[in-house]
Amino acid sequence: MEIIKSTDLVKRYGSRLALDHLTASILSNSITGIVGRNGAGKTTLLQIIAGFTQETSGNIEVFSARPFNSLHVSANSIFIDDFLTFPNTLSLVDILEEGERFYPNWHMDLAKKLLAYFELDEQTVHNYLSKGKKSTFNAIFGLATRSALTIFDEPTTGMDASVRSDFYRALLKDYLAHPRTVLVSSHHVDEIEELLEYVLLIDQGKTKLHMDIDDLREYLIGVSGRTELLEQWVKDRDVFFRRRIGETETYLVIQNNVETKDLEKLGFRVESISSSDACVYVTNKHKGGIDDVFRDH
Amino acid sequence: MILQTDGQTPIYMQIAHWLETQILTGVFKEHEKVYSQYQLAEMLNINPATAAKGLNVLGAEGILYDKRGLGKFVSEDAKKHIKEKRKDGLLHDLVEQFVEEALHLHIEMEELTSLVQDVYQEKRERENGNN
Repeated sequence: MEIIKSTDLVKRYGSRLALDHLTASILSNSITGIVGRNGAGKTTLLQIIAGFTQETSGNIEVFSARPFNSLHVSANSIFIDDFLTFPNTLSLVDILEEGERFYPNWHMDLAKKLLAYFELDEQTVHNYLSKGKKSTFNAIFGLATRSALTIFDEPTTGMDASVRSDFYRALLKDYLAHPRTVLVSSHHVDEIEELLEYVLLIDQGKTKLHMDIDDLREYLIGVSGRTELLEQWVKDRDVFFRRRIGETETYLVIQNNVETKDLEKLGFRVESISSSDACVYVTNKHKGGIDDVFRDH
Repeated sequence: MILQTDGQTPIYMQIAHWLETQILTGVFKEHEKVYSQYQLAEMLNINPATAAKGLNVLGAEGILYDKRGLGKFVSEDAKKHIKEKRKDGLLHDLVEQFVEEALHLHIEMEELTSLVQDVYQEKRERENGNN
């Protein structure tokens, strides 16, 4: 069942187009990674889905309702990011108790156990926490709500590497026990890819790719070989990345719709491209990468 | 099992391969239930959809069969089936590499055949000596 449906969604901030006719839908009880470069529109999309901001035009439906000003959407969703603030008059445990009052599926036992595990003092104030500890507390709050729609926007900012992997494992375990729809945005696809079922790659406010993570892992391949032969062979294909290796060889990244064996017969070497690299190549404006900057013309 | 996340082999194929090995080594016997997608997801720290794909690969090959609502079970000839499949796959790949290298070195068919015969003889004698 589609739990989120966005059609031709546009969000304009002054003259800047943050979302440019974005169309995508998200299936219920799945974990989707929302990925893209800085400024691609990830956060804007997530904020509109959560009902925090209004769309400029287009259509957005969450649980079959327009999320902005919808109590139904806010009761069934949680949006966790760096900017989450809580009143300074409440201790961490007070915040959890307030959470329990609002969220019908709240799981206090899990919240308190996670608080203890991550060594967060129940009596401290949110504002006194370090950046990493704040992120950890926010993530715990998000997990404990067990909201039908749980959104994490860059949840691991400032967290230690070990806390990050613990958090993602906690998310997976709780998801297995209590399936729900989870959206996680991250700069680091490699960090979350095992957790994901789908990837939604946003580029310049549009859906660039939306696919099964396992398909994304096989979406592109890297091919290297003698420059003249390779360039001749590739001339009718889209090249996502190109680099010269020494005098005679070239390395190219292309779509994986060729038999590896056929390429190897031509004397080319073939390697797989990870899903995080695929996201980078697909959204690259410069087909030579950073090398383009240093090229003499 | 430790998953290789370098992208050389898809994760669901690694899961399928690992389950095959578990069947070969007798961890799962004929008509026994294997792990569910959720158990695999928990064990391997992966999305349950990816785990399900690994199970489905073996289902499609007839190594596992479905009992509606109960999960996936090891088929009767699973072991034999896996052995044959691996023999065809791995052996064939090795022969291909072998011939390719021989071609690089411009070795004639005759020389190649006698090389295989020599090695085969040698290994066989050693094996018989051990027994």
